[in-house]
Amino acid sequence: MTLTAEEIFDRLKEELGDAILNYELKEYKMGVKKPRTYKEVWMEIDKSAFRRAIEAIFKIDYPHLHFITGEDIGEAIRMIYSFGLFHEHPWGEVSIVIKFDLPKNELILPTITDLMMGAETNEREIREMLGVEFDGLKNKRHLFLPDDWPEGKYPWRKDEYGVDDMIKHTHKSVKEIRKERGEQSG
Amino acid sequence: MAKTTYYVPIGPIHPALKEPIRVEAEVEGEKIVKVDVKRGFAHRGIEYMGMKRNAIQTLYLSERICGICSISHPYAFVIGSEKALGIEAPPRAQYIRSIIAELERIHSHILWLGVIAHEIGFDSLLFWTWKGREKVLDILEAITGNRINYSMYMIGGVRRDLKESHIRALKDMITYYWEFTEHMKEVFLSDPVYEARTRGVARVPKDVALKLNLVGPVARAAGLRMDIRQDIPYDAYADIDVKAVVPQDIVGEARGDAYDVTMVRIYEIEQSLDIIEYCIDNLPEGRILTIPNYIALLNKIKKTEGEGIGAHEAPRGEVIHYFRYDGTRDGPAVWKVIAPSYNNINSWAYCLLGAEVADIPVVVGYIDPCMCCNDRIAVVKDSTGKMLDYSYIHKKAIEKTRMLEKELGVRR
Repeated sequence: MTLTAEEIFDRLKEELGDAILNYELKEYKMGVKKPRTYKEVWMEIDKSAFRRAIEAIFKIDYPHLHFITGEDIGEAIRMIYSFGLFHEHPWGEVSIVIKFDLPKNELILPTITDLMMGAETNEREIREMLGVEFDGLKNKRHLFLPDDWPEGKYPWRKDEYGVDDMIKHTHKSVKEIRKERGEQSG
Repeated sequence: MAKTTYYVPIGPIHPALKEPIRVEAEVEGEKIVKVDVKRGFAHRGIEYMGMKRNAIQTLYLSERICGICSISHPYAFVIGSEKALGIEAPPRAQYIRSIIAELERIHSHILWLGVIAHEIGFDSLLFWTWKGREKVLDILEAITGNRINYSMYMIGGVRRDLKESHIRALKDMITYYWEFTEHMKEVFLSDPVYEARTRGVARVPKDVALKLNLVGPVARAAGLRMDIRQDIPYDAYADIDVKAVVPQDIVGEARGDAYDVTMVRIYEIEQSLDIIEYCIDNLPEGRILTIPNYIALLNKIKKTEGEGIGAHEAPRGEVIHYFRYDGTRDGPAVWKVIAPSYNNINSWAYCLLGAEVADIPVVVGYIDPCMCCNDRIAVVKDSTGKMLDYSYIHKKAIEKTRMLEKELGVRR
């Protein structure tokens, strides 16, 4: 039996209560001859409720992990987790997106690999690209970056821990180079 | 004491691998006792590049993520963008998109069938399947102008329309492939040697497939009825009620090995033919682009704030794109791409443990791995040693397209 997006949201609301800071049920119309709507659940939660939220999702149905990603928004890293629930049912899959901000001075999250082995790839990528530590992640080797990648440099970060000096160099325009040399541009 | 285990490194560059990835196996006799997979040898930072460009440039960039399924990533891209921007594609464009995506599934699946035949040593089967694949590539070239990297999709529609002559050619193709898949069932599924090489190899049970987060034909072969076209239908699929192809519906049982994956892929070609047939019979009339002016489109993107997830069931499994447009730039502020192999490579370590050395190519090949990041620089010289430059190759490509159009009776 499948649940609708509203029912799933109600269940999560029961479990999480005030930890849900913000939510939206996005509705899209799909189809031409037989148009139907389907809904996605988008939630912003408090970071302390992260593990509870994941466990609540696993209690409803064993989900399919769409992705884990993150964005550097200045003073914090915004983490985005997306799951698909009831993915074996026609028109039944409900996407749940959970977002929360991790302050940069405590970039640590509990792992979800104990619930879902396949999340290891995603967590390893986030770890090497954004510098978020996952508590309980067993395999901490680099996934995409080379093994000799410098410590403390994270390609997706936009602050001093990012690789901006290198990137600035590679993206220097001819105009900038000429200006530096003191040549007349044009 | 004598050493009992040996270390067998495969890759990143190896004749059995089409793309760079490293599989490190520890073997005891013929049995593999320890496996480690290393990836990232061709990571090009495409997501970072996309965040520096405008949305239309990023759309073309997304087409180049994968060399074979070059419509899968743009498809997820346009769906995600349309959701984030609140645009809807016209009905005719939605149907054309689905037709192109299914044509791509046919060519990708036949390509894989050839590759797996090659991996187990049936090279004549490789040549035969790839010869059969030419027909769908010709149709794609006649419709879009390219054999690969079609540049067909646009946010809010498609860039080229289908003509009457294209539809006639598509109908011919459908008849041809119904016959072709019948042959393929015979040579793959009834062949005792093929069965012996693939039965029980790369076996993933259903619960493990779920835990490893596998997607696409690999998950379906394990018995999971998951297919984005069925679970979250979009475009023409929403009208068709696509059903996931699973072995238990075909033979009554899902064993999740390389043989079942072959079966799923062959039956999916037939499903694609049905979908194309429905789409061309019910093709709506009308325009093909919601916002035909690209400057106006970019301006709209610049003013819109929003985020969305685009999902498409590519031949290898689901492709997911996440977007956020921040309302200040005409490109995505965040762009995250998940390709099917990202999840499916998880199954290698599971399948290789306890397998034999000779099964490594089958295990590596059965998920149809795509590192999604091949470097594509090639220098081509003709017999006199003259370098064949871009303009020459481009001229030849156009000549070939014109020749095909004539042969297929297609008029542009």
